Formats: sequence, C-alpha cells, structure tokens
Amino acid sequence: MLSFFKQKKNRSNPQQPKEEIYAHKQKKNRSDPQQPKEEIYAQKSSVMIDFSLSKNLEDIKRITGNSPDIVIRKVKIGDQAKTDAAVLFVKGLVDSRAVDEFFIESIMKSNHLQEKRTPEDLMGLITDEVIPLGQAQSMRNQEEIVDSLMAGNTLILIDGIDEVLTAGTQGGEKRAIQEPTTHISIRGSKEGFTETNETNIAMVRRIIKSPDLWVESMTIGQVTKTDVSIMYLKGVAKEDIVQEVRTRLNRIDIDGILESGYVEQLIEDQTMTPFPTIDNTERPDMVAANLLEGRIAILINGTPFVLLVPALFVGFFQTIEDYSSRVDIANGLRFLRVLAFFISLVGPALYVAATTFHQEMIPTQLVFIIAAQREAVPFPAVVEALIMELTFEILREAGLRLPKAIGSTVSIVGALVIGQAAVQAGIVSPAMVIVVSVTAIASFATPAYGMAISARLIRFAFIISAATFGFFGLILAFFLMIVHLCGLRSFGVPYMSPFAPFSPSDFKETFFRRPLWAMNERPRMAVGKNVTRQGENQKPQPPLSREMIMTDQKEGDTHES
Amino acid sequence: MNRKGMFLFLLIISVCFLSGCWSKRELTDLAFISAYSLDLTEEGNYEATVQVISPGNITSGLQGGGGGSSSPPVIVYSVTGENLSDMDALITKKLSRTPYYAHTDLVVISEELAKKEGLPPILDELDRDIEFRTTTTVVIAKETKAKDLLTTLTGTDRVPATNIVKMLDTTEKALGENVRVNVHELITQVTSKGKEPVLPGFTLKGDPMQGKTVKSVQSTELEAAPEADGLAMFKEGKLIDWIEGETARGTLWTLDKIKTTIVSTSWEKEKKAIAYKVMRQKTKVSATLTKGKPKLSISTRAEGDIAEVKVPVDLTDPHVIKKIEKELEKEIKSEIEKAVQQAQKDKSDIFGFGEVVHRTDPKAWKKLEKEWDDRTFAELDVDVKVEALIRRTGLVNNSLHTTLKKEEK
Repeated sequence: MLSFFKQKKNRSNPQQPKEEIYAHKQKKNRSDPQQPKEEIYAQKSSVMIDFSLSKNLEDIKRITGNSPDIVIRKVKIGDQAKTDAAVLFVKGLVDSRAVDEFFIESIMKSNHLQEKRTPEDLMGLITDEVIPLGQAQSMRNQEEIVDSLMAGNTLILIDGIDEVLTAGTQGGEKRAIQEPTTHISIRGSKEGFTETNETNIAMVRRIIKSPDLWVESMTIGQVTKTDVSIMYLKGVAKEDIVQEVRTRLNRIDIDGILESGYVEQLIEDQTMTPFPTIDNTERPDMVAANLLEGRIAILINGTPFVLLVPALFVGFFQTIEDYSSRVDIANGLRFLRVLAFFISLVGPALYVAATTFHQEMIPTQLVFIIAAQREAVPFPAVVEALIMELTFEILREAGLRLPKAIGSTVSIVGALVIGQAAVQAGIVSPAMVIVVSVTAIASFATPAYGMAISARLIRFAFIISAATFGFFGLILAFFLMIVHLCGLRSFGVPYMSPFAPFSPSDFKETFFRRPLWAMNERPRMAVGKNVTRQGENQKPQPPLSREMIMTDQKEGDTHES
Repeated sequence: MNRKGMFLFLLIISVCFLSGCWSKRELTDLAFISAYSLDLTEEGNYEATVQVISPGNITSGLQGGGGGSSSPPVIVYSVTGENLSDMDALITKKLSRTPYYAHTDLVVISEELAKKEGLPPILDELDRDIEFRTTTTVVIAKETKAKDLLTTLTGTDRVPATNIVKMLDTTEKALGENVRVNVHELITQVTSKGKEPVLPGFTLKGDPMQGKTVKSVQSTELEAAPEADGLAMFKEGKLIDWIEGETARGTLWTLDKIKTTIVSTSWEKEKKAIAYKVMRQKTKVSATLTKGKPKLSISTRAEGDIAEVKVPVDLTDPHVIKKIEKELEKEIKSEIEKAVQQAQKDKSDIFGFGEVVHRTDPKAWKKLEKEWDDRTFAELDVDVKVEALIRRTGLVNNSLHTTLKKEEK
C-alpha cells in the first residue's frame, strides 16, 4: 500500500517519467546514437522539411532508425523523367493494393506528369489529378510528416520542393466484425466492435443516421499516439459534460494507451473505489442506446471496448435486451439481477452471521440440519467460508487464464475439490458448499463485469464484518457501502441518482422500467436541452370498433323493419 | 489520502478486530433444547427436564449420519432445584454445551404441579428469559410425569417435541377437541380477570421405561406413545378440572377455534347415523345487560358437507337436507351447552364471557368484576343459537343404502 503512494508521488511530476522513458528508448536505438530522439520530440520540433530529396529521405531514415518495414520507393517523374521523387509508406500499415494501384502506378504512368517541368507544377498536378484518393494533404513539419507516416499514410516527396504530400491509405490486416464476446444477448444485433476506430464509428453511425451525431478525434499517448474519439448526440448530451470529457482527455499525458481501461483510470472521478464509475461495452447498439440518453461514448483505437460516461449505479444492472423484450419480462429479469447482485455481496456473510450469532433466526428444522452437518467440521464458520470463497476465486482466476485445452481440467478438479472431496474429508459442511456455489453463480448474473468483480471483492469485507459483529456488523458494513456509493460521482453526475438525490422523473427507469410507449422523456441526469424522446399517445391500441362485418350481407337480411 | 491518513485508517480498521468475535456462538457449542418439562418432586421442589437434540443422529440417511436409528435423536437431562433460573445453571453440570432455548418448541407441565403450585410461579421466568420464545407451546402432562413425555421416543417425527406439537396442530385442525396455546397467550389469559385459560392435556399410553429405548421405535407398534387427551381447565392459575370428548369440542366451538371437525347425529333411532364435516364455522359471543344483570348469547353458524350416511336417506330431497340440518344444530347446541354447564359448575370462565361483558358495558363490569367467577358466571343465563348448513353431499348424492332400499321395494 505504501509503495503505491510513493508511485503516486512520482506521478505528480510528469517531467520525470517522460525523460526516463525516452532515455530508455534511446538505448535501444541502434542506428544513430549521436542524435538523441528525445530532442526531436522535446522541441516540439519546428524542423521543416528540406528542398533536397536525399536529405529528407536521410532524415526520415534516421528518425525511424532505418527500420526495414518503412518502404522507400524512388521514382522519376516529369519531363523526360528528370525529377526525382519518392513514395514512402510503412509495410503492413497501408492498404497495399491502394498504394500499388493508385499511387505508384498512376504516378509512373500518368501522361500529364511528363509534360510539366517545375516541381511545383508536379506537386499540384499530383494532388489534383493523379492521386484518386481522398485525404490528401501537404505538410511541411518534419515531425508531423513522420507521425503521418506512422499512422499508415503514404508520403510523396519530390526533389526541390519543401513540401510533402500525404495521402490516407490506412489499411492492412484487421479483425473482421464478429459477435461480441461480452454483453451477449439473445435478441438483438450480433455485431461487436473491432479494434479499429473508423470501423467502430461507422458501426454507430449506421445505427444513428443523424447529422447530430458528432465525433471529435484526438491523439493520446506520447509514444503510442492512439486515436481517441468522443462521440455524442448534439443537443441531447449535456454540453457541460461533453466539455468535461474533453478537458479530462486533454489532461492525459502518458506514454501509451493500450486499452480503454487506461483512459478510464485516468479520467474517472474517484480512484479509491471498487465500483466502476465508467461503463464500457462491446456492442454498437448499446452505445447507440446510451447516446440517445445523452451519454458520451469514448472510442479508443486498438480495443473493442468503448467507454460510456456518465455511468450510474443502476445502469450496470440493465442490459440492452431489457428494452427489446416485453416490459413484464424485462422487469422480472432486472429484479432478478439486482437480487443476484445482493446475494453475491452478502450471501456467505449472511450464512456466517446467522450460524455464529443468530441461531434463533434459522428455522428450527434447518438449524438442526446445519448443526448436524457442522458436527464434524473442525473450523469456525467464518474460516470455513473464507476457505471456500478463496478456493472458488482461485479456481475462477485459474480457469480464466488457462489455455482452453487445459481449462476443462481445472473445472473438473475444482468441482471435485469444492464439491465432494472437501465435504467428505470433513473440512467444510455441505451447506457451506451450497452457499458458496449459489453466491458464485449469482456473481455471474450481473451483466457488467466491472460491477460483478467489485462485488466479489467487497464480499470478503462483508464476511469479516459479519464474523466480528454478526448482523450488526453486516448492517454497518452495508451502511458504509451505501454511504460510499452516495459519495461517488461520474462526470459530475451523482452515482446513485436517481435514488440519491431522488429524482421522481428518472426513478421510473431504474431497477424497473416503464413500457416503451410510456417512456416519453429521456433521463434528466445526463440530458441537455432535448428531453423529449417520443411523441404522445404511443400506446398501441386495437381499432375502436370491433364489430363483426358481414361481407355477404344483403338488404333485408337483417331484422330491421 | 496521505501516509498519515492511511495510518489512521489502518488504526480504525484494527479496532474492529480488537473486539474479537464478541458473543460469537458456533453451532457446535450449542445444546439445542427442543422441549422443557417441569415436575414436582416429593420434597416440593421442581424437577426440570430438558430434551437436547443430538444433531448427528437427527438427520439419519444424510451424509455421515452414521448413527441412524441405532442411537436416539435426543438425550434428556434432569435437574432439581428451587427455581427455574437455578436449574438452568445447574443443568450445565451435565451438559457439554451451552443450553440454547431459542428453538424450544414445547413446555410440558405436570398435572400435579399445575394443581398444587399453579402456573404463575413458573411463567415469570419463561416470559423474562431472552432466549426463550413466548410462542412456545404449553401442554399439561395428564396422569403421567411430565418428564416421561420427553423421554419417550417417537416414530414419524423423530424429535419427540416436534411430534407432540405437530400432533396437537393436526388434532386441533381435524378433530377440534384440543387447542394449541403458547406461553404468551397463556400469560395474557392468566392475568385477565374475565378469562381463564385452557391447556391441552397429553398422556402417555404404554410403558414409559420401554419408550426410552430406540428399540421402541424399531417396531411397527410403539411400546409407548404420547396421546392428546382433553383440556385442562384452570382457575386462578391452578388446574381444577379436565374437559374431555364432546364437551371439549363444545368448548372450542364457543372459543371459535373449530376449523374442521366431524359432527355425527342420529337418524331414525340409528345412533350416529349421519356424519357431517364442518368446513367453515363462525361463532359469535355477545352480551346484553338488563338492570345490571348480564345475559350471554352464543350464535354459531357452521357450513359443511355430508361425510357419511349409514342409513338409507334420500339426500336429493331438500326437505330431508333441512331435517338433517335441524338434527345437526341440536347436536352442536348440546355440545356447546354441555361445555358451558361444566364451566359454570367449576366456576371457571374459560370462554372469556367476562371480557365480552367488559367490552359491552365497561361500567357494569366494574361492579361485576369482583364476584364474576364465583357468582355471576356460575349463574349466568346463556342462550345458544346454532345454524348448520349443508353445502354439498360429498362426491355422491344418494348413498348405496338408498339405492338398495329402493330395489327391495
């Protein structure tokens, strides 16, 4: 714990780690020890590109350490192919088909190019006519150029021009869109996010086809230069919260962002809490649903997990499927989830408290059975509970990290250890096994993994408090947890809202939900101006008249006079 | 949080552990007492008996049961002493675990103790004790030692205490000659001036010595078995008389405690020819005072089915049904009257007529209160009205007797 604080202290001085990292990097750099790389970055270099092609190429080679995956293709263009030019790209990062066909081929074969004489003319022509790709732009700053190259763009350098043309050719191998592995639903879209930001943004846009869906991009990470985009519905999302997200993201000064969890930890309101204050999902439809409720999505390149802010406590018990299934069933399931969360929190603690302090609370027949089972057990109930809970957590952790081929062995061995052998050996009582397994199953019923795992951790605190003071201790611990929860905030929004502070309008959308036709307003906590969700009178009704219509009725068939 | 804050936090956390596991009781340190009985010794002291569950033997057939039916599910310990709390402490000389009364189902008081000492001296401790529940059932051991009811092993429900309580429940529901009374109800009735308590009696049929061994429950016919038998009538906390059979049921009619029961009536000189199963009933007791003299009226309305017909009767005829209803009303009325007569003879207001009068006219009650049991109640004018309704005739209409008789013709 103390070492953690030492680290934290170091963090407060951002200059120090940065230097260390770059110094470390420099050691690795084989090609050019004379020119320390950090200098280039430290200056936020104003080094401009040179007129000479060979010098430019040398510079780039030097900066990138002559890495073999940077391809330099030299071509001759212009009148009588007198002008030297070079096409640069990083192998694997670019769409090689686009580079070959649209770039090199068109430059080499273009008839227009051979007529032009001056390099300036050539540049203009290439930009305007030859390159049939979008996202072409010219740059002069050396650092920007290298960054652009590293991002997967293709560079064109022409001798005698102090400008570089970059064209967007990002591509290369990426994972196809697959079914998400978390947040699985029976009914609903089977699409899951991929590791590529553009794809992910497009997937959300495919659901919300509105110009109000605004995306802002930025690059975070001094070394990794990870693309981070924030996405929100203009008018629906609260402007204050959007601004808060922006400032918090801009504040981040770190060498690398490898997963959305990095960003999450750097922008969350409260770090000393086991509860997640930022939601994440792998499902585009869930992101869309949250955007419509005024939340803001943060997409990070390189991970299929998209962050959603602000996140409320109740939100972690809701699934996207709640809204696609009928209201009674959805409410029943939601109630079940909350119950399961409660069991996963206090299950073993209740057992320990009841069997060691409050035997009078257990029904007579049951207490006799539990007493009979405990006759041969040598440990107090709390030790028994801790042994079993630890065993289960070890099993779960081991099963999670193991290769799939060995995974089944763990479950078999685990089932034997937890289930039969432990009981037969008289180490634990069968009732304890039931309690632990029910708790274990209940902990998997919470849809959000972050919330479920926090319950697992807090459970141990509950067991200990129940073992020291019985139900009194359990209630105390529970109060502590509630007070802590009420003190949390997610991007300025109280975590426990709409319970605390109580909001009658939002309360309708918590552990239960209204029928879809009655959900006329968006939850007010995160929504800006545009509160109305749907029109009035959305309740479906049968046609007013249900009278039977006789199709083959003739005049005089009825008994009217 | 800085280092100082962390240190403070750890200090606060450690305070939790300093208390240890305060007042912690493991299940294996407790002796669960399922039943408690009180006898009077020859010297005039109490003899308390506790029935302690041995958990290992109670769940035979479960894992590690081992003992099964070869060892008894309960063990009984006795101790003599001057008062109940004393005996509570003395009993630990014989027990390896702390006696635990929260799961005690049954209190048995011997007839002798109830007659000589009365209930008030023993009820105080039962009421005052923290662990002991006031919802525990109280019964009187009739013509046997209270201890014998605890030592006798039982068959269907292996814990004798559970067996007796369940038996009481079942017979109260199906027969209506017994009533389950708990400590709390008993105390309120003993202290009330306008109502005297009744308690169910239990007797032991068979040899108490044989009933102690596991052998007894290994045969199909038990050597000794407890049996519900009558109601004990109290006056001023002391047992004075027993109410039995139909009179006991009459008492329960008046107390509005009948759930279902069978009433039989004679038909054309055949005794108990028609049986009637009461499914629902409501009894109301009301009082009227004329010139300060109270008059009680009991009105009962019973609904039920024909349960059995021993003689040929045409049940399809509404007139016949009406006639049977009249017979049943007479039968029920006589039961109630018998009960009232016995209570008046013993001068014990077990029906709570005094409370009814109190509710009707509180001022008059102030005058009547002093001499209620001995004079006013004993000479009270009680009017009984019974309405019996036959709703259905069971699964068949006419019985086979009726069909046979018709064929003869």
